[in-house]
Amino acid sequence: MNLNNKRKKLTVGEEGHLSDLRRGQKCVVLNFHNDNAALRRRLLDMGITKGVTIEIKKIAPLGDPVDICLRGYELCLRRDDMHGIDIKVVK
Amino acid sequence: MICALVGNQNSGKTTLFNALTGSNQKVGNWPGVTIEKKEGTIKGTKISIVDLPGIYSLSPYTQEEEVSRKYCFEETPDLIINIIDATSLERSLYLTTQLLEMDIDVVIALNMEDILDEAGIKIDVDALSKRLGCSIVSISAKKGSGIKKLIDLISSGKYIKNQHLKIYPNDIEDVIQNNIDYFAKDQKFKRFAAVKVIEHDKEYLILENRHNKANVETLEKKYDMDGEQLIADRRYAFIQDLKTDCVKASKRPESLTDKLDRILLNKWLAIPIFIVVMAVVYMLSVGLVGGLTVNLIDMLFNGADVLELSFFQMTWSFEVNFLGLGPWLGSVIVNAGGSDWAVSLVQNGIVAGVGAVCNFIPQIIILFTCLALLETTGYMSRISFFLDRVFHKFGLSGKSLVPFILGTGCSVPAIMSCRTIEDPDEKHLSIILTPFIPCNAKLPIITLFASYFFGTSAWYVSFSLYVFAIVIILLCGVILKHLIYKGHSSTFISELPAYQSPSFSYIARDVGDKTYAFIKRAGSVILLCSVVVWFLGSFTWSMHYIDGVNYAVENSMLAGIGNAFAWVFYVMLGGNYSWAVAVSAIQGLVAKEQVVSSMTVIAGLGDSAAVSDIFASPMFSFFTPWSAYAFMVFNLFSAPCFGAISAMRKELGSFKEMLKGISFQIGLAWVLASIIGGIGWLIAL
Repeated sequence: MNLNNKRKKLTVGEEGHLSDLRRGQKCVVLNFHNDNAALRRRLLDMGITKGVTIEIKKIAPLGDPVDICLRGYELCLRRDDMHGIDIKVVK
Repeated sequence: MICALVGNQNSGKTTLFNALTGSNQKVGNWPGVTIEKKEGTIKGTKISIVDLPGIYSLSPYTQEEEVSRKYCFEETPDLIINIIDATSLERSLYLTTQLLEMDIDVVIALNMEDILDEAGIKIDVDALSKRLGCSIVSISAKKGSGIKKLIDLISSGKYIKNQHLKIYPNDIEDVIQNNIDYFAKDQKFKRFAAVKVIEHDKEYLILENRHNKANVETLEKKYDMDGEQLIADRRYAFIQDLKTDCVKASKRPESLTDKLDRILLNKWLAIPIFIVVMAVVYMLSVGLVGGLTVNLIDMLFNGADVLELSFFQMTWSFEVNFLGLGPWLGSVIVNAGGSDWAVSLVQNGIVAGVGAVCNFIPQIIILFTCLALLETTGYMSRISFFLDRVFHKFGLSGKSLVPFILGTGCSVPAIMSCRTIEDPDEKHLSIILTPFIPCNAKLPIITLFASYFFGTSAWYVSFSLYVFAIVIILLCGVILKHLIYKGHSSTFISELPAYQSPSFSYIARDVGDKTYAFIKRAGSVILLCSVVVWFLGSFTWSMHYIDGVNYAVENSMLAGIGNAFAWVFYVMLGGNYSWAVAVSAIQGLVAKEQVVSSMTVIAGLGDSAAVSDIFASPMFSFFTPWSAYAFMVFNLFSAPCFGAISAMRKELGSFKEMLKGISFQIGLAWVLASIIGGIGWLIAL
């Protein structure tokens, strides 16, 4: 759980993990690396596929979980689960 | 004709189900799992409707999805009513594309709430219907508009039949067709199965063969994605396309929900606001209503000379000299020439037992009203959102804090409030750990022992028990999470629904149903258990009634059973065999207050005696501060009262799970108490 220490601010054009983003940032999903089949499928089902745009909308007061906006709706995820999603910052 | 109602969570599915069925409902559980199963009949027709669990997909990974999939395959309903939340159209249609692959007709109920206009979205329903190849009815589940049209369409049978919409690019459709050609003739839902083969779905692996495997591999190479990813990707691509053609969305302004969340989910304000909200819920259900009604209802059942109503520190006393139902029935029986035991059966067995449980009813009504309010307005989801980080570490959900707080009042409503927790493992764990919180009824035990044995430091001792309970709950959470629920992925995927003004008819119905279910149990199982304990405590093995003159308490069957179980308490009581302690602990199953009153009876004291005289009686004179603390710990952690046990049975979904939970609680209580008592025993040696 030392995700927090590593989290530096990513700027537009940089690549990283979905869990690295801050409130208000936008990104495009590049790829998944995830060995939990159920979680992987669940994320796919929720519309997190390659190329989809995701915006960080709200972050819980204690820093985790995070509310993201994609495909016109909102979804809450734990940072741990967001770590396996590679992204590129677009805003 | 049988319809199945399918849709995402929070899509208005329950509201639509209620609107379609009116009051013709039957609620139970799906076989083998604790997921609620609701069946009903559509108003004014003979069409039965089954409410399937809220799902996002037909993947094989979650219980809800498995139940839904199995139902469609094994029962094959004639029609699926697919409710779609227009505000999250894309994700909802993702499920629709899967439903259309089965060989069942689908009618879409497009739930357009008022929010839609606010959000600036316009949907061309006719175009959408044409592109999907199925009938769509716009409804508002909440307002009840469009429901009649939906019912008419279903009962007339004039909906568009399933056309097996082709949504994939040609190369994928070719592979699907190829898979279908290789299937056995009796393969059910061929198109669905063919797609599942591409997805490498674990339940369709047997359909994989040399041919289709090679085909799928070619596709995977071409698109640079594995089959599962490919199918999800193409479904969403199709929906994206659909949306461009049929939906006009203007730039949405910051919604009221976002504005409210700025305050309610604010870094600094969220927790204080939550504390205030919980304090209000607690004050209403446990403090105000509990304090005002517990003695009142007790008076109605058992009679009282003085009625004490309390509100926190304030207490009002009234001279009432009310006879009460039990004593009144008793006098009726005496006048009719009934025997002493008959009077006792009615008064102490039936009325007192049921009364002990009915004390909780007003609290339960208020509590459920508060919970339904928090839930329907959307605040409950925020609670689990911002507390998740803390509780997740202990195998619990953010929502577990609700039962733990309510548990300081009464375990019964607390255990029932666990049903708002979505994750089955987290719910399970919360139900089993909630009774560890010292409830109101355990206070008399703590007060009695602490004040007698620890004098001026009684306050610290009582407080230490609360701390002890919290530490044990968190420890158990961590340990059970790693031992029992290991390997289960408890992933937090949830939504923050838009804030809504609550629907009062929905709340009234919800509260009514839950309260009725509770009363029904109080009248059956709990009544039976109370009567059994009364019977064992009131008769000798040779069936002589214990009248306190010819036969004393130590001759009762309960004392015999107490003797048989006295060894259990041997270590924690510092090396003493005591049937009296065992009997008191068993009596605690009826209600925890009974532990103290049972000790009073066994010590041979009347109503007027000071309870601290208990420890002067030879029956209990062996207690030391160590064994007193050990006994308090045992009562704190061991099986709760019948009321709470029956709530556990209901929420855990099966008798077996309840038994496991109770055994765990008793086992833990015994180990902890024996360690404490044992240390005291060693020191004294």
